[in-house]
Formats: sequence, structure tokens, C-alpha cells
Amino acid sequence: MRPLVALMTLSLSMPILAGTIDVRVQDPRGSVVRDAVVYAVPEGRALPLARKTAVMDQKNRMFIPHVLPVQTGTAVRFPNSDDIRHHVYSFSPAKPFQLPLYKGTPANPVVFDKAGVVTLGCNIHDQMSAFIVVVDTPYFERVGGDGKVTLRDIEPGKYVVHVWYPEMREEPQPDTVNVGANERIDLSFVTHRNGHS
Amino acid sequence: MAIRSFQTKLLLLLIAVLVLLQAGTLISVHLAGQQTIRRSIDKELGIGARVLDQTLATRARQLQDSLRVLALDFAFREAIASADLPTTTSVLSNHGSRIAADAVVLIGLDGKVTADTVGGRLVGKPFPFASLLETAQDRGESSGTVTFRERPYQFVIVPVLAPRPIAWVCAGFEIDERVISDVRRLASTEVVLTSGAAEPPEPDSATYATLLHPLRTNDGSRVTALLQLPLEEARQPFVTLELKIFGLSFILLIAAVVAAVFFARTVSQPLRALADAAGKIGHGDYSTPVKVTQADEIGHLATALNQMRYAIGAREDQIIYQATHDGLTGLPNRTLFFDRVSQAIAFSKRSGESVGMIMMDVDRFKEINDTLGHNFGDQLLIEIGRRLERTLRESDTVARLGGDEFAVKFTAPTQKHATEVAARVRTAFDAPFVLGDVTIEVAASLGIALFPVHADDADALMKRADIAMYDAKKNHTGFAIYEAGRDEHSLRRLTLMMELRQAIARDELELYFQPKIDVVTERVVHAEALVRWKHAVHGVMRPDEFIPLAEQAGNIGLITKWAIRKAIRQCAAWQREGLDLAVAVNLSALDLLDAELPTLISGLLSEAGLPPSRLVLEITESAVMKDAAYALKVLRDLKRRGVALAIDDFGTGYSSLAHLKRLPVDELKIDKSFVQNLTESATDDLVIVRSTIELGHNMGLIVIAEGVETPESWAILKRLGCDMAQGYYMSPPLPVDEFSEWFVNSVWGAQRMSKPVA
Repeated sequence: MRPLVALMTLSLSMPILAGTIDVRVQDPRGSVVRDAVVYAVPEGRALPLARKTAVMDQKNRMFIPHVLPVQTGTAVRFPNSDDIRHHVYSFSPAKPFQLPLYKGTPANPVVFDKAGVVTLGCNIHDQMSAFIVVVDTPYFERVGGDGKVTLRDIEPGKYVVHVWYPEMREEPQPDTVNVGANERIDLSFVTHRNGHS
Repeated sequence: MAIRSFQTKLLLLLIAVLVLLQAGTLISVHLAGQQTIRRSIDKELGIGARVLDQTLATRARQLQDSLRVLALDFAFREAIASADLPTTTSVLSNHGSRIAADAVVLIGLDGKVTADTVGGRLVGKPFPFASLLETAQDRGESSGTVTFRERPYQFVIVPVLAPRPIAWVCAGFEIDERVISDVRRLASTEVVLTSGAAEPPEPDSATYATLLHPLRTNDGSRVTALLQLPLEEARQPFVTLELKIFGLSFILLIAAVVAAVFFARTVSQPLRALADAAGKIGHGDYSTPVKVTQADEIGHLATALNQMRYAIGAREDQIIYQATHDGLTGLPNRTLFFDRVSQAIAFSKRSGESVGMIMMDVDRFKEINDTLGHNFGDQLLIEIGRRLERTLRESDTVARLGGDEFAVKFTAPTQKHATEVAARVRTAFDAPFVLGDVTIEVAASLGIALFPVHADDADALMKRADIAMYDAKKNHTGFAIYEAGRDEHSLRRLTLMMELRQAIARDELELYFQPKIDVVTERVVHAEALVRWKHAVHGVMRPDEFIPLAEQAGNIGLITKWAIRKAIRQCAAWQREGLDLAVAVNLSALDLLDAELPTLISGLLSEAGLPPSRLVLEITESAVMKDAAYALKVLRDLKRRGVALAIDDFGTGYSSLAHLKRLPVDELKIDKSFVQNLTESATDDLVIVRSTIELGHNMGLIVIAEGVETPESWAILKRLGCDMAQGYYMSPPLPVDEFSEWFVNSVWGAQRMSKPVA
């Protein structure tokens, strides 16, 4: 599988033909929606699984980061940076798993090979929680502190742009766009009212 | 009976007051008890309701905690997350039983039931208790009371966290006997819960106090708690209290009744004794003392009653004594004497003994009294009483009947014995009475009568003794025994007394005249007018037969005035005929008390054209003594008018010479008793007559002798120098016609006629 990964890297690194999507995410009051993730899924074509890795650290009885978007097939390591043990688990259908009480970094990372949101918890620290957002695209990004996000180097084609955020109950209407070569598209999402606020 | 009723009244009153008090206490205790019971029941029921609420709230929290812990169980969450319905259902059932939940429901985040332990009946449907779920969605968890399967349930909802909520788990717990028993244990209240359409049971208000307490539900259903408290249980302490009070009241009542009986006895028994004592006093028994020894008011009353008993007794004795005794002499009075005589007669009727009675009065007591004073008279009477008592035996009775009248009752077998008694009584007067400076001889007249010889009863006996006494007095015999028939004499006196009133009007009275002869000239100078009563039955009566009667009857004044008028007219007639005589008329003692008499006499004299000196008024010594001062005044008045005054019957009275000297008299008439038997040999009379003549002459008075019946006495009088003489020797009293005839024919008169009738 290594040569395939290399190929992908090659193709993506072609800057000349790639398009850009700028997305602004805000709640109905115009505020920044923290930890929101924007991703664009190509329509009509399946992309090969990514051969990438990511890290979900546990430090001070918190998962860091709180939201980790990854492309399907990414292997995520769960190092424990605390001096106490944690018991990481997920009951999410996209990837149920558990890492029973452990210290340090487990030998094997967990591969998220199915798109979906995986909610993480620690069985002995109820207040710990985190999300791994598994998407079938390499074009994804977390919204920054200004509520904006830019998806770059997008291969021209047709894409469905989604937004996800932690407190989401109902996904905002995805936007379908055609990304032309060197084209820059502006999108804007307004989240539904948060159930908790 | 009055005392009995007093005791009863006191008892009833005390008992009534006590019963009222006790009843009042009981009633107020009962009412207060009822109120307290009601209040405490209400309070307890309220507490029960609050305890129920609190128990349910606490239970809800506990259930919520339990469910929360349960929902964090990893295996539970893992099973839920498996999304396999049978697995999910079994884990709900399994874990539910751990917390003894009656129902467990898993609810998706979309509000629809995903699994349940009640046979999947709810699966796929919205959770039936939306408000509970909404609260859970808002606040994270919730709990509440609902009606589920027609039973009251508590439901709690918590999220299933992985670690973000992936579902809601809901556990239901029926509110069952365990909860009820907790409430009962804490609040001792019975609780019956009903929910849904079921009606709460009808409260048994006779046995229980009840409170319907609706519970707050979260599904709008009706859940009602009927709280019940057994009334008996609440009342029990008060019933015990009331019983105790009632028992205490009863004991108190008994004690009070006993005390009241005792008290009533202590009051009523002495009162009864007092009433008996007062009754005895009322019946005249003063000798039985009241026997009450108490020191209280009743004791005082008894003492007072005793004093009263003694005082009444003493006073009654005194009254009886006063009523039956003479105050002056201390002798029995007429009343007691009469009783004694009656008793003696009654006794003698059985014994056959005679009862004798002596009536006596003191001779001339009137004069003694007037002369020596009433005090002296009283002393004399006292002394007489003493002496009489000394002469008699114990069984005899001496009484003072009034005035100078005494009486003696004695028992005597014979009349001779009675005479002896009378003689012994007379010895009381033998010795002179020495009273102070005065020594005086006193005599008494005694009349004796005997039962049954002279009278049949006490009344008659006294009357006849009285008659005998008058006889004794009249006859100067000292004493007399009653003679049969004397009663009629007495009756005659009474009749005469009445007839005398009419005698003047009927012209039955006539004036007789007796000449008084001048001893020196042996010629008639005066004529004494003497009244005669020509009685239709008794014939001609002399003055000493009826004048005392007239005095007693009070009509002597009429007779005197009639006599004066007649005498003056006759005198005037004689003057016209050439008979120059002075007429003398007797005045009674009573006449001297008539102040009008002098005026009347003056009138008659001037009417007749007669010089006052032609009228001589004769008065006895005793008459002047009657009311000396007043009589003297009248006499002086007469004297001033020129009328001549003469002392009649001189020598028989007690007048002192000093007294005689004060009298304005002109003449002095020696009593006939000294003159009648005057002979040269009768030395006593002779001495008296001579002394009297000398005395009279020495006092400048004309001395006249009455009762001249013999030539001898005439001669003696002439020799002794007496101025005038009067008597049968010269002439008896004569009617006017005979007097005129005597005057013409007598040696004492005719020659004296200076002027023959023309």
C-alpha cells in the first residue's frame, strides 16, 4: 500500500490545477462555533483510504485535541501523558473500541476506517470526552478562532461541503459546489441553534 | 323537722355546688380535650402528609442517585451502545432489578422509547411522560410522580453517557407498602393511595380522622393520599385523663358529703338542743339549763339562752310576787289571799275542817294618816303587818287587802276557836306602836266569818267577814262574828243609797229643829236643823242612818245645800214671826271641799235678808282633818262672810289643841257621849266636860253641851259655866210646826218672845 500513498501525495502536490474553498461558520447570533469541522466530500468518486496517522493525547485528564478530524483509514495513536491510567473507549458505531487501563502509548494505534463521528470517553474519568470526526475526504479543516476555514489544494471536481460541530443535533444543509482549477469559492454556514444554549 | 330540713338543705346545697363544680371541670376538660384531640389529630395528619411528601422526595433523590450510578456502569452502557434490542432489554431488566425498579425504559435522544422492561409495549412510541423527559433534557435529569399502569409510580430519568448522552434511561418505582410503612413508622398515620380514575375510599370518619392529600404529579394524573389516624388512639390519653378526673371528683364528692354531714351535725344537733331548751322556757320550765358546751356562735347562743332563761325566771317570779303581794308590807294581796282562801275551802270540804276569816281595819287610820303624815301611816301599816304575822301560825295567812284593811285566814274547828284566834289577832294592837319619835295607840275592828257556817264559798266568806267588821266598828266592840241575816241589812243600805238620790226630788226630806238653850238666860237662842227622811217603807229615818250612805254615794252635797236653803228660809220666816233664832246646820267633810259653798250661802242669806251671823255651820273635827288646808280655806271664807262656825262632837277626834287654835270657829260643842251620863259622881265625864268648857272659854269660844237629858246634867252644866245646852231635857228635834208650838208653850221659849205675832 505504500506506493499508493506516495502517488496520492504526488497528485496533491500539484498546486497549479487545485482550487480553494473558503468557509465561514457561525451560529445564529453570529458567534464563532468552536471546534467546528468543515469537510468537502467528492461526489461520484471514491477516494482511496488514507495511509495517514494522527494523535489523540491525554493530558491533565483531558483529551487533546478535543476534536480530531481524520480521513478514513487514518491510524490514531492514544498516548497517555498523565501519570495515571486511563481507559479510553468508544461506543460510536463508526468505531467502537476500548483501550483498557493503560499508561504510556499503546503499541498499536486504532485505525478509523469508516466515516462517522466517534465519541471518546474515559471509563474512569467521566468528565473526559473527545471526538474523532472520520471523513471520506482529505479536504477537511477545523474552524479557526475567527470562525473561518480554508480548504486548499482541492482537485477540481464536484464536492459536497459539510459542517460538523460537537453539540450538533442536526447537520446544517450541505453545500454542493464545483471546484474549478484555480478557483476560489466562498461558502458560509449558519449552525442550528445549539440544544444546550 | 325544721332542723332536719336545715341539715338536708345544707347537704343538698354543698353537694349541688360540688357537683356543678365537678361537672364544670369535667365538661371543660372534655371540651378542651376534644379540641386538643382535634388539633393534635389535624396536626398529626398534616405531619403525615408532609412526611409522605418528604419520604417521596427523599426516595426520588435516592432513586435518581441509584439510577445515575447504574447508568454509568460500563457494561450497561456498552450493552445499550450495542443497539441490539434483546441485549438492551435484558440489561435494562438486569440492572433495573439491582435498584429494585418496577419498570425500566430506555429512551432515545429523539424522545422515542427504544427499549423497555414491560414487554416492549412502549417501544417505538414517544415516552409517555413528556414533561419528565423535557425536564431531564433541560436539567440533565428529572424525577416525578405519575400514574403508571393505574398505580402511583415514581419515575426518574438520567442520561446514558458515552460520555456524551446517547440515550435516556428511565426507572419507575411503584409507591407501595414499603413507602407507606415508612410513613406510618414516622408519622403513625395510615396512608391509602389511590391514583388514576379510582376514587379514594370513603373515609371511615367514625373510627378514623382523615385527610385527603393530593400528591403533586408530573403527568397531570390524580394521585390522592388518604391519611387516616385512629381516633381511639388519639383520644386514649384524654379518656384516661377524664377517667382520672372523674374518679378524683367522685372521691372529692364523697369526702365533701362526709364533711358536710359532719358539719351539719355539729350545727344542727346543738341547734336542736337549743330549740328544745327554748321550748322548755316557753312552757315555763326555767330550771333546766341548756346543755351546749361549744365555744362557737352556738355556744354563745346557748349561754345567752341560759342567761335569758335565768332572767325570765327571775322576772316571772318577781312579776308573780308583785301580782300576788302587797308592795308596802310584803304581805299577800287580795288576789293571793282570795286564792288561799279558795284553796283552804276546797281542802276543808274534804277534811271537814272550818276555814275562818278575819277582816279588819285600823280604827281612825284616816286621821292618823292625815295627822302624822302618809309616811308614818305606811310605817304603821308595815308594823301592823309584822305583828299580825307574829300572832299567827305558819298555816294561817295574813294579807293586806288595801288601805288600812287587813285580812287573816285560818283553820278553826269551832266558832269558839275562831273567837280565840280573833282575840289573839287583837293582841297585835295591845302594845303601843313606837315609830320614830311617835308612840301611838292603835285599835282595829275585826269581823269574823266562818266556812261552812256562814258562807259556802270564798267570795261570800269575805263579804260576810266584811259585814261583821262593819258591825264591830259601828258598835265599837272591837270585833264581831257574822250574824245570819246581816247580809239583808247590807242590801238595804245599797237600796237606800239609790233611793236617797230621788228623796229630795220627791220631797221626802224634812228639817227637824232642836233648840239650843242659853244656860244663863234659860231661853232658846239657836235651833239646830236636823234632816229626817220620811221613807215610804222604813218610816222616818235619822241622819246617822242615811247620812253616811249619802257621803258614800257622793250626794251629801245636795242634802247639805237643801238643808241650808231650808234652814235659812225657816230662820227668815221665824224672824218675820218675831222669833229671833240662829239656825245651825251640819256640814259634812265633803262639803268643806266645795269652794262654791260660801258664795252660795252668802247668796241665800242676802236673798232671805238674813244677817250671816244668824247661820251657824257645825263641822266635826274629823271633817276638817280630811283635807285640812283646803277645808281651812273654805272655813275662813265662810268666817269672812260673817257666818258663825261650830266644832261638833268635840272630844271624839284626835285634833290637837294647836290645830284647834288655827280653826276660825266661834263655838265648841261637847260630844253627847260625855254629857248623856253626866252626874256628879261620874268623875271622868265631869273632868272632861269641865276641862273642855274651860278650854273653850280660854280660847274665847262659846261652849255648847249636847245630849242634856236630865235636870242633873243641866244643873252641872249651869254650874260649870257652859254657855248653851241642847238635849231631850229641853226638847227633842221637832218638825217646824211642833217647834213653833213648843216655842209658844215651853218654859224655854215663850217668855222670850219679845214681839207677839200681830
